[in-house]
Amino acid sequence: MLPNNEVRVPPRRALVQEKAVPRDITAEFTEAASKLRTGQLVKDETFTLFEAVGALEIMDSKMDSGYIAPGENHAQALEDDYDVRRDLTPEQVVGLMDQLLCHEMAWHMGHPLSQTLFTSIYIDKLLWPVPRTIEDARFDRVPSEYPLVGLVLRTYCLALVKACDFVHARVASEYFYEEEDFVTQLYNRNLLSTFDSSHFYRLLDQAVDWVDVQEGIEQKLRDAIRSRLLLRREFLAAVDQDLEILDTRSTDSFVSCLTYLKTLTETAALGNAVPEAFSLKLQRKLASTVPPRPIVHIKQEDALAHMKRLCQDAIDMQQMLDYRGPSNFKTAVWTLLSRKPQPSVYIRSLLQALIVSDMTILGAVSVRQFLYDDLAELVLPSSILLRANTDEVELPSDPRFRVAQIMEGFVKRFAQPYVDTVRSACLNRCRVRRTICHTVVDWDNLQMEAEELDLQLQSLSAEPALQFQGGEATFSYPLSSWAYHQKLIQLRLILQMGFELSVYAPEELPGIYWYLSHICSTHLSHLDRIRTFTVAARKRDLVSSTHGETSAHKSPAYHRSFLYLERLTTHIIAIDAFAIALHALYVLLARHQVLPSAAGPDAYSSDKLCYELRMKPFIPISLPELVPFEEYQREATLEGDTDATILDRASKAITEARKAWEATLANGAFVEDISSPMKEPSIAIEEDWRRDIKDTMRACIGASIAIETVKKALLGDSPRSESDPLKLQVFIPEIGSKTQWHDWWIVPQISEKKAAKAATS
Amino acid sequence: MESEKAVEYLNGLIGRTLRIHATDGRIFVGLFKCTDAERNIILANSFEYRLPTTSAIHEAAAKETESWDKTETKAATVKVNMSSRLIGLIVIPGRHITKIELE
Repeated sequence: MLPNNEVRVPPRRALVQEKAVPRDITAEFTEAASKLRTGQLVKDETFTLFEAVGALEIMDSKMDSGYIAPGENHAQALEDDYDVRRDLTPEQVVGLMDQLLCHEMAWHMGHPLSQTLFTSIYIDKLLWPVPRTIEDARFDRVPSEYPLVGLVLRTYCLALVKACDFVHARVASEYFYEEEDFVTQLYNRNLLSTFDSSHFYRLLDQAVDWVDVQEGIEQKLRDAIRSRLLLRREFLAAVDQDLEILDTRSTDSFVSCLTYLKTLTETAALGNAVPEAFSLKLQRKLASTVPPRPIVHIKQEDALAHMKRLCQDAIDMQQMLDYRGPSNFKTAVWTLLSRKPQPSVYIRSLLQALIVSDMTILGAVSVRQFLYDDLAELVLPSSILLRANTDEVELPSDPRFRVAQIMEGFVKRFAQPYVDTVRSACLNRCRVRRTICHTVVDWDNLQMEAEELDLQLQSLSAEPALQFQGGEATFSYPLSSWAYHQKLIQLRLILQMGFELSVYAPEELPGIYWYLSHICSTHLSHLDRIRTFTVAARKRDLVSSTHGETSAHKSPAYHRSFLYLERLTTHIIAIDAFAIALHALYVLLARHQVLPSAAGPDAYSSDKLCYELRMKPFIPISLPELVPFEEYQREATLEGDTDATILDRASKAITEARKAWEATLANGAFVEDISSPMKEPSIAIEEDWRRDIKDTMRACIGASIAIETVKKALLGDSPRSESDPLKLQVFIPEIGSKTQWHDWWIVPQISEKKAAKAATS
Repeated sequence: MESEKAVEYLNGLIGRTLRIHATDGRIFVGLFKCTDAERNIILANSFEYRLPTTSAIHEAAAKETESWDKTETKAATVKVNMSSRLIGLIVIPGRHITKIELE
């Protein structure tokens, strides 16, 4: 069976001109079929019953889009007796334009064209039969005698379809999920892709000029029509030249769109709807392997809001186009894509194209440089490994030549997976998490490969061993350290995005927050290790450099690396401390049976099975190893600790968390580059980042209040016996609700039970 | 014996292109995949063909006269292609089949 998204159109056979005369086999066939027993099938060996279920039943009104009910006028049902040349009032033209915009945005939101734009009779007439020239692209063979229809509405429709063509091409050329994010299916129609955009601008200009001199049309309606035409012009220009932003840094078109969208909102009420200009029956003419489906209606305010957000996201995207180092770049990408609601599929596709095309980041930095910059920032602030170059050293016996060769191999192997870690953020949120669950396994292997390379490089660069944390002497393993760092980030994201996507049941929260803090502490000691080796390398550099010049030259690189490590550490400490606090809090709630539970008391599950299922992405990872269930259970339930100890732990951790988050906020979203001149800061994206941290801090405050409430109930004035249930009401707010400050931090709402109060007084 | 022959005959048609005429005048052309005792037929990669509508005929006729010398009125027969579209995998219930053709 062909999936819906892949309607391959086999070469069309011309039925009429067929030379071989078909043979009538009705009688033989019927005779033969009648000999079959009931239930007996004659079928293609490879054809399965499963596929058969997907077949559309002809003459069934629910399945067959070509079905015409008995009594329905044949011609009328197929043709739609709507006259596309009829005169329209200016109010109706405004209404039609707005309705079409709604359909366009519904398509942007992920609905198929067959249920949106292709239900418009005007659009259908423009596109079918396929126009050969732009003049051909009109509603009827005989042009309408009314310019409001033949020029204004037609131009509006043409420009709209052309904009869809650009959007379609952009999305289809990047990673997206068919039917999940977007439906690219065109039903054997063409979105005027063969026509140059200049035709459309010319027509738009003509239409605007015409409208301007129509004294007969009321001023406000003239303005309404005019702004709609201009919106089309600007939007077309914006999506036409969407990649050129890399060169021009200009967002003028999108900015103008916002201006016209404002006028559109104000004049929306002027329009008169023309519902008869849309028909579901048009689906009968579309090449489609799916049953007929209803027209999608979205509210006009939603459509305008969607377009506004799209334009705003596109404008803000411009702020991240100046490359200022890998960490800043990654922060900007991640922050922009974490916006709620998530940027539309067009924006996410455009961003993918900007992030990397032709192995170049932001159209300016080679992927190799990007990778090297990241290595320099994290593990090799100033190293021979990054400077070795086969172009300069041609003697194969020179160690530098070998180093260059190994590094070349490293770039070849790692560039793509590394860029993908940035790019995968452009998927929809569920897919981001899912993709990470898969790629983290790849990174586990990559780390091992990097370790091999590290060993080879060690002997070549004659790196001295170092005693780390009083243990055995060891080496820095820069490449695998870097790979491990990437992997730890991914493991953390799997957990944190799980909160965002409401993956976990309330009873799982204690364990997951424990695991989060476990991953954080592993990460922190890894960063410590990296720092130790960087410090040692810095010392060696200072000692060995006889003339201060080289040392001074290397200084900024070290400075940036130490700064970056410091920022990372602060951030992860903040996450760790908050996770510890919530873990402790949830352990207490679970221990006293006040934590709500999604599973019933007699659910067929056990903690062990649940743990295995939840930790599935972590199981194949060799480092850090999955914590064995027994150990996890001991740790995650804080076995053996008294309530008082746990309370103390929670209070201390939340205080530390608040401090660390404040420090993170003070550090800012981006690493300031001291060596390069100040560039314009990314205001909007930075603002988003700050809001995110502030929301986390709000969640911290919420958590400390919750901890206090539990403390009062546990160690309150009136002594309570062990058997007494805790008189607390615990409510876990849903993701996205107002009481949930941050998607990654599920803070319970805890209140004293009212009934209990009445009983004690 | 006879039923064996029937199965053999039908099996020989599997994978061939059939044209099935339906009670509402449409014709479906596609690869024969499966049938049963009730003559329900499954076609893969099928196209739906529909006789041109009256307005399409009028339009074609109008185009035809346009291209001819306008002073001359010709009673020409106009050729209009059936409108067709891809609809993929379909099952046509036996009771709606009026004619079966083998290409």
